[in-house]
Amino acid sequence: MDSISVATITPFGHQALRTPRVRDEHLARVLAGKDFLLFDGAMGTQLQARGLAAGEIPELLCLTNPQEITEIHAAYVAAGSEVVTTNTFGANRTKLAGHATVDEIFAAAIGCARASGARYVAADIGPTGALLQPMGTLSFDDAYELFAEQVRAADAAGADLFIIETMADLAEAKAALLAAKENSDLPIFVTMTFDEDGRTFLGTTPEVAAATLSALGADVVGINCSLGPADVAPLVKRMMAWASCPVMAQANAGLPHVHDGQTLYSIKPGEYCEAVKGMLDFGVTIIGGCCGTSPDFIAGEKALLVGREVAARRLSTDFAVTSAQQLVNIPAGHVGVIGERINPTGKKRLKEALRSGNHDYVMGEAISQTDAGAQILDVNAGLPEIDERATLVRLISELQGVTTLPLQIDSSDPAAIEAAVRLYPGKPIINSTNGKQEVLDAVLPIAKHYGCAIVCLTLDEQGIPATAEGRLAVARRIVSACDEIGIPRQDVVIDCLAMAVSTDQSAPHAILEAIRLVKRELSGVRCVLGVSNISFGLPFRPLVNATFLSAAFAAGLDLAIVNPMNERLMDVVNSWRVLSGEDESAQAYVSAYAGRSDAPSAATGAPAFDTTTSEGIAKTLGSMADTLQQIASRVAGAPLQQTASQDAKPQVSAPDGNTPEGQIRDLVLAGRKGPVPDAVRLILADTDPAHDSMYVINEVLIPALDEVGARFEKGTFFLPQLMASAEAAKAGFTVLRESASASDVPSKGKIALATVKGDIHDIGKNIVRMLLENYGYDVIDLGRDVDPQAFTDVVVEHHIELAGLSALMTTTVPAMAETIELLHDQAPWCKVIVGGAVLNPEYAEMVGADFYAKDANESARIAAEVLG
Amino acid sequence: MTHGLRIAREALSIDSVSRSEVLRYLGYQGQPLSPELDRRIDDTVARCIAIAQPRMSLASYALREIGEQGVALESCTLRLTGHDIVEHLADACEVVLFATTLGVGIDRELRRLSLTDTLEQVIFDAAATALVERAADAAEAQARAYAAAAGAFTSWRFSPGYGDLPLDVQGDFLAALDATRQLGITLTPSSLMVPTKSVTALVGIHPTVQPGLVSSCSICSLSDFCTIRQTGRTCRG
Repeated sequence: MDSISVATITPFGHQALRTPRVRDEHLARVLAGKDFLLFDGAMGTQLQARGLAAGEIPELLCLTNPQEITEIHAAYVAAGSEVVTTNTFGANRTKLAGHATVDEIFAAAIGCARASGARYVAADIGPTGALLQPMGTLSFDDAYELFAEQVRAADAAGADLFIIETMADLAEAKAALLAAKENSDLPIFVTMTFDEDGRTFLGTTPEVAAATLSALGADVVGINCSLGPADVAPLVKRMMAWASCPVMAQANAGLPHVHDGQTLYSIKPGEYCEAVKGMLDFGVTIIGGCCGTSPDFIAGEKALLVGREVAARRLSTDFAVTSAQQLVNIPAGHVGVIGERINPTGKKRLKEALRSGNHDYVMGEAISQTDAGAQILDVNAGLPEIDERATLVRLISELQGVTTLPLQIDSSDPAAIEAAVRLYPGKPIINSTNGKQEVLDAVLPIAKHYGCAIVCLTLDEQGIPATAEGRLAVARRIVSACDEIGIPRQDVVIDCLAMAVSTDQSAPHAILEAIRLVKRELSGVRCVLGVSNISFGLPFRPLVNATFLSAAFAAGLDLAIVNPMNERLMDVVNSWRVLSGEDESAQAYVSAYAGRSDAPSAATGAPAFDTTTSEGIAKTLGSMADTLQQIASRVAGAPLQQTASQDAKPQVSAPDGNTPEGQIRDLVLAGRKGPVPDAVRLILADTDPAHDSMYVINEVLIPALDEVGARFEKGTFFLPQLMASAEAAKAGFTVLRESASASDVPSKGKIALATVKGDIHDIGKNIVRMLLENYGYDVIDLGRDVDPQAFTDVVVEHHIELAGLSALMTTTVPAMAETIELLHDQAPWCKVIVGGAVLNPEYAEMVGADFYAKDANESARIAAEVLG
Repeated sequence: MTHGLRIAREALSIDSVSRSEVLRYLGYQGQPLSPELDRRIDDTVARCIAIAQPRMSLASYALREIGEQGVALESCTLRLTGHDIVEHLADACEVVLFATTLGVGIDRELRRLSLTDTLEQVIFDAAATALVERAADAAEAQARAYAAAAGAFTSWRFSPGYGDLPLDVQGDFLAALDATRQLGITLTPSSLMVPTKSVTALVGIHPTVQPGLVSSCSICSLSDFCTIRQTGRTCRG
């Protein structure tokens, strides 16, 4: 995170747009950031001190021992708590496990809390106890339903506000917050819990939590549990600039630790309050306690608040978006790069990937853009022949597996946009809306409800205005619509639309002028541009794009949607950051570009000679000697490498093989993928017409793989060697697929794979997939924890003849049997292979499988038997 | 004789794993290793150690009742059922429960690798398995130290799913350690722990020295499927 620009903006203006039902004037002042609020301390550790057994459901005490619960609340009220928190931390349908209904518990718990005489009753909502997909198995929608049931029960029973707390997963916190927001109009407080490393167990930082949850409409955000107040203080401080709402802190009385064979919470009330005082000084307004705290702690905090004024806070006005693990902020005057590569328009391989559902290529694009310096990734799945909404949702989930960059959800379908931003654990950008009333009406409410930034195109019912003033007029209308619905100005990003200079040479001027006007006339908004349209129809487009990009930065462009793998464009970005002062002392520039020049010798990687120090001179002499030796050996005709042939064909180095065929075989057996592509190209370049793709597959790659399989069978290879060989063969297949004769490579058949419902081990299945793909089969991998019917549907849809199922736990074998039964019923043509640690041939027969594979190699053998 | 251990948690610092153990998880049986694979394994182990955040929580509970129906504990809903655990804890007066995890960063990396590099995923998984076993060793060592301080002895460590102790005790087991809050360990409906590189186990605290400190294959529920024993070794080394 870079430096941030700030402005003092308390109280909180735009939050007023969701009007919560606020019990009284004092609470209204608290929510406006003008007054303090004192919560209570721990419930759980108080119950344990009174003899609650570990593992007992504490919420049931609201029904069985209501007086005892009320006594705990009343002790806090007597100590000064204005708010008591209901004993409902785990009161969701799953955790209650049928012992009581959610309604019963909330009614009783709120009754206990009211009876204490507290001014406000906060309905407590803790985590579900299960981890959400994709790391866990609970779906976002199921988590939402669990929370919604609690929210409705609490609202009906008369709570004054919600406290969603101890959240470690931003996705789960979002599900709970949305459930509260969509099923009640009571105020919502949300706190997450952080570890010593400053992240939640799932990797969220305080900045990300504050920015995301306050944008989503939390009335208060903060931190609870985990750590003592001295450790919580610096973390909650990091929230202050990013929470557009009041901030709260409820720390533990230290960490439970073992001392002389006893477990203790280490911090006493005096020390606790000293740390809380520091938090009040930097602007925290809502305090209380968590595990290990007692009424004594609250009494101490009460004393802190006497006669105290709310401290002024400084909020960031940066453009900021988040993923679950990363906040990306672009202060005014800085520039940002949005990677444009994940968009199928005009990209054949991406189209193919989206159509086939094999997203490896998309993941590769995400990784290379991340490495190349993109700060945000645009994601577009708009292909007419696919289900855009489903594909977008899946892509967004998968992309989070390979990049922590925030995403820009790019679609013209509001339903697809909403599905994607609802599930996205973070604050994304929506790309896009425009000045058409119908589009504004459909998209702005989504951006507001889900707390997203939004790209706004300067076009409307009349098309794209030709002049800068025309574009400004459209932008003005859009911005006023955003103001009206309550989207903060820094989240509004205007796209003045780059048009081809080849068709209209006045276009660049109009665009640049429009950027200047928008930035001047509409204070606080940002400008974005997809740059590459400008050069349409011209040769050597990157040069024109780069020149235009510098001009656009000078005009005030904040965000550029570009291909970050294009070095020329990134050179513009990096050098502009020096010229604008963003790259302080040119540190980043110097470290990236020192020693570089445009001289041809630099391009070929010759060493830069340093003759200023004795060390440098020694190095220089050494490298000169190496160079001379190389030249000498070339002159003498001695090859630097053993080559397959003496002509200009690619050079291949291999230990034994004399022919490219032999080399490939040796490389596959050695598990060395590097030189394989060149060897395959050598064969394809051969004049013998018989040496086509099929020849390479059937006469070279497959026999090599068969030999690898035989060695694995005999135990002369172990698993990583088998896999390294498969990787080497894959490098060969990739060349064939990319070659001109790609269409000659017929598929050997489709195979569907999955780890069964309830099981989240996917390694065995992944090894099988890898091997089968390298034998040339089309593998549809449905992943792990796959529903039996969903699997069967895919088998039916693609008329798949061979299915592979994996289970690693005895508890999930029944799900395997169920899947096979469905397959036999609905796809009787399909044969089934099973495998996994808890299976053997007898069990395989018992669950109804056609084949048992003891390892991946065996799967490949069975596939050959069934599909040929 | 002991003070009793209420739930405590601790970050563990583990900076190495046994290379031969990683190789064993990869099915290694002495095949010649290429220098590439050799280096790759070392690099992956180092990265795994860098990403992991090993933590443990532990707590002791006195035995309330032990009989045909299983083992009941004081102040704890966890009921340990099955013949094997009853035999295991026959003369114990107390148990120390513990849970360790490497954290969800490991699962995230495994997921990234499942989308990008299957071979790397396999090696990383083996490294992580070896590492979480080391973390469990460290937790077990604390339990032994606790027993030793009181002049008592521990039995070998026993985990849910081993022998006939069912996996579905896992929910109460984790609750007895407050493991979701302390360590972030959650459970799927099929009783699998996430983060996946997590271990729960218990040791008995006994007044007398215990015969062995390692488990045996004879009661292992996976013995029918075991591929390690065929190589003349066991999963304990």
